[in-house]
Amino acid sequence: MSALAHIGGSPSGTSTTAAPEPTKRGGMAAYLLLLPGLIWLLVFFVAPLVQLATVSLQSQFPGYPGYYYRNVDFGNYGRAIVEYWPHFVRSLLFAGLATFFAFVLAYPLAYAMAFKAGKWRGVMMICVIAPFFTSFILRTIAWRQILSDEGPVVSVLNFLHVLPGGHITETWVAVVAGLTYNFLPFMVLPIYASLERADPKIIEAGGDLYANGFTTFRTVTLPMSMPGVLAGTLLTFIPAAGDYVNAELLGSDISTKMVGNGIESQFFKVLGGYPIAAALSFTLMAVILALVFLYVRRYGTEELL
Amino acid sequence: MAEFRAAKGDLVLENVTKSFTNFTAVDDLSMTVPRGAFFALLGPSGCGKTTTLRMVAGLEQPTSGRVLIGDTDLTGSRPYERPVNTVFQSYALFPHLTVRDNVAFGPKRRGAKDAQAQADATLALVQLTHLAGRKPTQLSGGQQQRVAVARALVNHPEVLLLDEPLGALDLKLRREMQVELKRIQTEVGLTFVHVTHDQEEAMTMADTVAVMNLGKIEQMGAPEVLYDLPRTKFVANFLGQSNLLSGHVDDTDGEHIIVSAAHHKLRLRKSRAAAGSGDIAFGVRPEKTRIHNTDPGASAAGNSIGPGTLLDVSFTGVATQYLVDVPDAGRWAVYEQNLDLDRIDSRPGDTVWISWDPGHAFGVRP
Repeated sequence: MSALAHIGGSPSGTSTTAAPEPTKRGGMAAYLLLLPGLIWLLVFFVAPLVQLATVSLQSQFPGYPGYYYRNVDFGNYGRAIVEYWPHFVRSLLFAGLATFFAFVLAYPLAYAMAFKAGKWRGVMMICVIAPFFTSFILRTIAWRQILSDEGPVVSVLNFLHVLPGGHITETWVAVVAGLTYNFLPFMVLPIYASLERADPKIIEAGGDLYANGFTTFRTVTLPMSMPGVLAGTLLTFIPAAGDYVNAELLGSDISTKMVGNGIESQFFKVLGGYPIAAALSFTLMAVILALVFLYVRRYGTEELL
Repeated sequence: MAEFRAAKGDLVLENVTKSFTNFTAVDDLSMTVPRGAFFALLGPSGCGKTTTLRMVAGLEQPTSGRVLIGDTDLTGSRPYERPVNTVFQSYALFPHLTVRDNVAFGPKRRGAKDAQAQADATLALVQLTHLAGRKPTQLSGGQQQRVAVARALVNHPEVLLLDEPLGALDLKLRREMQVELKRIQTEVGLTFVHVTHDQEEAMTMADTVAVMNLGKIEQMGAPEVLYDLPRTKFVANFLGQSNLLSGHVDDTDGEHIIVSAAHHKLRLRKSRAAAGSGDIAFGVRPEKTRIHNTDPGASAAGNSIGPGTLLDVSFTGVATQYLVDVPDAGRWAVYEQNLDLDRIDSRPGDTVWISWDPGHAFGVRP
């Protein structure tokens, strides 16, 4: 997991021990070791990506729904965006909210695990990881039960008369709650890793240099854990933005659909929807890449090791 | 939030005890460090010296007893309320801040308007001005060490605590930093409390050394005094090396007592003995002794031991070290400076005698 904490923070050349000069044979070995991974990437990532790109540019055979011919038709992208822009907005908004809430929940948890848990640290770690032993779909369905109109959450809120509309499922709240829950571990683990690596003496030094508990946290602990926060937000935001299971199982049929749902329905439910689905996939990828690039540029902590 | 306490004066520890769940790290320790002194707490690892330091810093609270600076009782106050700063063993520099911001951290927290200027002035003192814009990870160990010193010094603490600050440096750099720290201390005139397990470092740098063992101070004093006249067996062996021989006081002879040990009657000045009667351990430093191929005779009676068997001779350039097995007196070490080339004619297995100047022997509690 610690490798994830390095996203955006490469160990730049500050090592004091000079690496030994790589020999010719060492260089060959490195390439040989890379080979299986490269082949894997080529077959299962690059090839499908190229295939998807060609599909996104295909045109429908007029009069034969479901048949396409090879073409370079960028109109697919236009049609996809015109039809699905609200889905894009929702995807980014829900993923952003889920990332925010996951951060708010994860940071205190990771902090407690790193500094306060003592012998309970292992148990807490298992609690964070344990949900992975159950299917993602099953856990999301369980959330439907938890948030259902007859369930404990809604009953209590309705009893207190603080829930406008009277239910949570079929609303964006349920979708964001599901996303937050499902990606929480991806936020907790990198933050925990970066806090756990921090020398407690550095935090003591904050106190020694006239910073009280809160100031030490603000000026020392939090900045030191930024690589973990950065990794955690990326690991949460990226899959959350592309997710369709939570919107499908917890959201409504119309007002809470995300891009993933659009892609899914174009692929599996709409006859002749392949090019649109492919165009949507590429657009989503481009949007996320652009956002991540800007985010890492802004908050990247490269010097921080 | 409690206020910063601007105390001035000597650092005083009064009957300080620190107990953890299953052991006592510091046991009823009392000491006074005069204002402006360079004070070393010396002891093996686990002797409680770092715990003592952390209690002065406020990073630990004593189980009982008081920590004062001048008349101000600091017991129970938080680290950020004390006019005390620490140079940590691992330096504990803030990795996300530049060298300058690391040093300016303390002044900023105390609301200084000219924090950056103060940082620059202190960086000049430790000769690191040219590296002010770097991050700590881009510095060598010695440079990081000096940043850590500057980061503490910039606050003009009443007491500066140094927790094995040179432990991670190689020997050459250690020597340089010892001189450097001593220079800085003289220049700023602050009280330095230096924790170390390196007896040579403690003796080189400090005006006063306190030797700690098992949570207590064994002996405290100027390095020369401690070395010349150790008062306990522990100090005799921890600070340099000693030939020690257990015996008991047999008789007195004017200014001397006669110690009976290993079939010898050894003379010891009363002023150099920890006890005037009963059991005593007779000691003499290896470099204060001389080796003889023949019995030094009556002239050296009381100030010599032998015959013994020479076990080992090692030539170290400056000196020759002899290891002698004296029956019932154990193994004795003799270091002789190589002034006299003719003398190097002893071989392992030879029968030898050892003598010393009566003024160099000492007696410690057994």
